[in-house]
Amino acid sequence: MNRRALWGSLIGFVLVVGVLLGVNLATENHPVLGLDLQGGVSVILQPTEEVGEEDLDTVRSLIRDELESLGIAEPDVRVEGTNIVVDLPGVKDQAQALDAVDVAGIVTLRPVLVCQPGAPSPELLASLSDGQAALPTSDGTQVCVVGPPGGTGEVFSRGSASPQIDQNTGRWLVTVDLRDDGQAVWNTLASACFSGSPECPSRQLAIVLDDVVQSAPTVNQPAFSTGVEITGAFSEEEVRSLARVLNRGAFPVNVEAQRVETVSPTAGSDSLRAAIIAGIIGVSVMLLGLVLYYRRIAIIVVAGLMVWGATVFSLAAFVSQATNYALSLAGVTGIIVAIGVTIDSYIVLFERLKDEVRSGRTPRNAAPRSFQSTWRTILAADLVSVMASAILFWLSVGSVKGFALYLGLTTLADLVVCYLFTRPAVILLASKYRDGRLIGLGVTS
Amino acid sequence: MSLDESRGTAMEVGESGRSRLFRGQTAIDFYGRRRLGLAASLGLLVLTLGSLGFRGLDLGIDFEGGVSWDVPASSFGVAEAEALLDAEGVSTDGARIQLRSSESGEFVKVQVEAAEGARAEELRAAFAEAAQVAVDDVGVNLVSSSWGSDVTGKAIRALLVFLVLVAVFISIRFEWRMAVGAIVAMLHDVVISVGIYSVFGFVVTPATVIAFLTILGYSLYDTIVVFDRIRENEARLAAHRAPFADVMNISMNQVIMRSVNTSLSSVVPVVSLLLIGAGLLGASTLSEFAIALLIGMVTGAYSSIFIAAPLLAVLKGRSAEWRDRRWARAVGEPLRAMVMGGLPAGRRVRGDEAEAGESRAVADAASVLNHAPRPRRKKRR
Repeated sequence: MNRRALWGSLIGFVLVVGVLLGVNLATENHPVLGLDLQGGVSVILQPTEEVGEEDLDTVRSLIRDELESLGIAEPDVRVEGTNIVVDLPGVKDQAQALDAVDVAGIVTLRPVLVCQPGAPSPELLASLSDGQAALPTSDGTQVCVVGPPGGTGEVFSRGSASPQIDQNTGRWLVTVDLRDDGQAVWNTLASACFSGSPECPSRQLAIVLDDVVQSAPTVNQPAFSTGVEITGAFSEEEVRSLARVLNRGAFPVNVEAQRVETVSPTAGSDSLRAAIIAGIIGVSVMLLGLVLYYRRIAIIVVAGLMVWGATVFSLAAFVSQATNYALSLAGVTGIIVAIGVTIDSYIVLFERLKDEVRSGRTPRNAAPRSFQSTWRTILAADLVSVMASAILFWLSVGSVKGFALYLGLTTLADLVVCYLFTRPAVILLASKYRDGRLIGLGVTS
Repeated sequence: MSLDESRGTAMEVGESGRSRLFRGQTAIDFYGRRRLGLAASLGLLVLTLGSLGFRGLDLGIDFEGGVSWDVPASSFGVAEAEALLDAEGVSTDGARIQLRSSESGEFVKVQVEAAEGARAEELRAAFAEAAQVAVDDVGVNLVSSSWGSDVTGKAIRALLVFLVLVAVFISIRFEWRMAVGAIVAMLHDVVISVGIYSVFGFVVTPATVIAFLTILGYSLYDTIVVFDRIRENEARLAAHRAPFADVMNISMNQVIMRSVNTSLSSVVPVVSLLLIGAGLLGASTLSEFAIALLIGMVTGAYSSIFIAAPLLAVLKGRSAEWRDRRWARAVGEPLRAMVMGGLPAGRRVRGDEAEAGESRAVADAASVLNHAPRPRRKKRR
């Protein structure tokens, strides 16, 4: 193998990792710590009207889904008494927290009487009869006079709205499914609008959230069976926001933020420090054991673990800043286990190297061969871990997701370090040895 | 002719069992003891299912909800709340105690899994007394779970997808029998870990669930490392038509040191978390993870060798490819020689040890082809 390429890989990788670590430390770009480790901000929400326990539970799940779809990871949402308590990790100030939890709100469906551009005139406002309202559209260019609500967003099945592109025209549209029990409500409204009846002369049906007309599609069929398609001259942005509105439509009740509290870490302020101290002691003991057992070549494990640690730190700092995935105790667990998996890569390699040397090869000769067969093993085993974390990340919610993210990152770091650092380091070090002293074997033969 | 033999004798074999283990020269008959591992695990499984049936799991506040007190924090803090709960005999396992502050002042929120109506009022009075405030100033509320059934549902769906993909992956990369072995070993590990939580009555928190997921990944990882060695030995011994028992024994003996080393080095940091972090430094939340992880790592390493491999042996034994290779397996010195890199000697051709008394071709040609490395030359100038 080409020595220059090996040295290049070794030095290049260490340099890149070192620079990244230096930049992160210099800019104080730490991983964001989770609710249990660092505390956060908590928002207490209260329903605007009396509701049952079941509705509160529904709202709780909906809020968590909404928060996660907005990229706020691992919120802790629960019902307490008649309130809903939302704890947010990694949120710095209270205004940001209030903004973030402003995800609840009832979507109503109201027939449109007339829409006109500009601000509402006084005559128009005066002419409104009972139950009617003049509401601005979401782009703010028009005002629509709408009738009393004929239904709520509960007619749509939860989470079914998605933005799509019409294959023929290439235009954006939104599709959404109707719930079995919502179909009748929707169709009553739709048929009234389709026929242009006095309640709905404009033939438009407005989708209203927070007193803003999000969309006012013209109804072009009297009855819908399972799904509804909303088309128009939409941009991608508009379609996405409309889909979000339709998806949140299932909120059975309106909730309002009551107050904001800052929260101390649940794991106790000492937990992280204790974990770090205990972790360092544990890893040191383990490394000492490896040095005693594998002798000289164990220097590569010590160095490799440092490089791996630096890689993981930089990755964690980057990912938690970029994606809002705070490092919680669950993530820390993932990392502790990953240390074990990383060390295993070295042990598999060294045991193989030992076998080869025992059967008569020089370390110099055995190292590249050993690495090749070990690499296959490590690749197969690590791929399963990466696969596991990818699937858990995509399909699960809450802290499972955070755990998966960090397990995946550390495993990837293991693969990269193994190939770019360990491989050249072992081969180059072994090339200096012609007997088994390298790996703690007495001189055989 | 036999290079293998010369290689086997050129290296001295360790005197004690320990030195043989270090040198990778063990000749343990894992195949012969395969039923031991399966039986032990079966016993554990029965115990687990029994315990789950009778005692169930002690689910924490995140799963079952509980009671919450808001105690104004003037002289009263998190430490005082913990002390009070301890004094009142309420378990703080899985309890959540936070200091919260808003414009209206600071207070300690204490959330505990189980406290019946009257008990909640009693504790409310106790909190009020300890914090030197009126009873009415301590708010009591029922708390719902934060880990709803939908979280569990999604996690289970993710797991099922994962299992299917892992099965496909292992079937392609290795073979379907190994997929079966790996997945059974993994389920075994998770069930045993859950069982230990049930038997000892540890509180299950979201952290525990995460730890169980970790166990699952760890178990699979470990099994794949072991199976990779089996596959390699299969290829090496293919021409010799060695029975699977031999392949398994050789592979297990070759990986045992790696398994011991890996388990030790993975377990040491976790034990440190448990003893130093949770014990000495008193961070009790750490013990939740550490216990589950410790159990998982130990069972993970155990199941690869004592569940996954024996199961693979059973499945292989029935396949058409391996059925007609039922020679007596090698034990003792011949096994040791093969573990140390040799190939099957022609010994069993004599048929005196073969169970079925069949004879087979001597695979001398192959053993010559699969030759040992060339002796090292003197350093050239």
